[in-house]
Amino acid sequence: MASPLPDCQNLRPGSIGVFLRARPERLREWVLHRQLNLVLFCVVAIVLGSGAYGAVMGSWRGAWQAFYTGIKLPLVILLTTLGNGLLNGMLAPLLGLNLTFRQSLAVVLMSFAIVSVMLGALSPVAWFVVWNTPPLTATMRLSSPEYGIMQLTLAGFIGLAGIAGSVHLLPLLSEWARSASTARKVLFAWLAGNLFLGSQICWVLRPFIWDPARPVEFIGREYFHGSFYETVFEAARRLIFS
Amino acid sequence: MFQLRQPGAGTLIASMLFVSVVCSLIYGVVAGTFSGGTQLWAAPVKIAAGLMISALICLPSLYIFTCLGGSQARLVEVFGLLAGLLMLMTILLIGFAPVAWIFSQSTESLAWMGALHLIFWFIATCFGLRFLEAGFSHSNARSLAGFRTWVVIFMLVALQMTTALRPILGTAKTFLPAEKKFFVAHWGDCLKGQDGASKSESR
Repeated sequence: MASPLPDCQNLRPGSIGVFLRARPERLREWVLHRQLNLVLFCVVAIVLGSGAYGAVMGSWRGAWQAFYTGIKLPLVILLTTLGNGLLNGMLAPLLGLNLTFRQSLAVVLMSFAIVSVMLGALSPVAWFVVWNTPPLTATMRLSSPEYGIMQLTLAGFIGLAGIAGSVHLLPLLSEWARSASTARKVLFAWLAGNLFLGSQICWVLRPFIWDPARPVEFIGREYFHGSFYETVFEAARRLIFS
Repeated sequence: MFQLRQPGAGTLIASMLFVSVVCSLIYGVVAGTFSGGTQLWAAPVKIAAGLMISALICLPSLYIFTCLGGSQARLVEVFGLLAGLLMLMTILLIGFAPVAWIFSQSTESLAWMGALHLIFWFIATCFGLRFLEAGFSHSNARSLAGFRTWVVIFMLVALQMTTALRPILGTAKTFLPAEKKFFVAHWGDCLKGQDGASKSESR
């Protein structure tokens, strides 16, 4: 095992630049020798970064939706990480990457922290998009083009941040596994699992922007019925066989 | 980039921002001569304010994107480079000002003048972004992919800002628009209303 880098210091709240610029060797040292500090830093980054972005998403509907979505978005990330923690921890060594459960949790949290920091940085731009979208009125529909543009832009930023988080994770996994092919397999497996569970968690915690059929609430009781994949399957079935 | 790492960089950044504001005010006056009247003060205020607000909105994402690319530039250095971008853009716009003024006095077509100003802005922005990219290439960045993504975001924010602060060329009863629109919809409306549309139409 490589000896610790001489200046492998704890991450502090103002260390965002240090964290984002860190090379894979430094990230690995943090996971090995500063794990608790790294996990705390990542959790704070997730709560603040994606919380800010979530608040902007919900602000189009109103202040309460902004408050709820500001809580929901970090919750989606943290619940997905914890829900898949066992699975991710098992998949890594099975696919050839020698990580413990806690190390795999720290690495996944690190990736989500990068996503959240990016979302936090994009929240002024997202706010500008939301501010420029015509407000909620009696004539606004889910099919309105202005609402569609806002929805696509907000989702697009999440997609962009997700790609950046994944791209940043790959060199670290390659460095750890000493094999690019093993790193890609592990990354793909983690992404598939996180996407699968994350989609359902988003489905349960919806809406994030607006539900025209419901008043503003944190979670409606009817949201626990059905699943994201059932809805997609039913929509595809109707499309194909109608 | 070297200058931004020296003591007194704050003064340099403030100077660049001051020059940007002055140049954008001057260009705004030229743009306002198309309609005259209240646009002679409203257009410069909107252009200067719009540029500064667009840069401020995009600054956090520029810092984060370039950090992800490995750039060693600190936030204040990124801010300085952004101020440099604004200064270069607005100085170039001053170069286009006589051309813009001649066309302003020659035509009454809002759509044509709007397109012309947008072309001048686009050319000036391209040179400004070249400066910004050159600055980041001296900051040990491993990749400029994040920076290039940011460029697209910045251009879209600036374009939307022109619609958010309309009218800049035409006239209207209010300083800012009552109706919210995206810039593509606004441009489409302007072009559809182009039959006989002139400087008396709000933009």
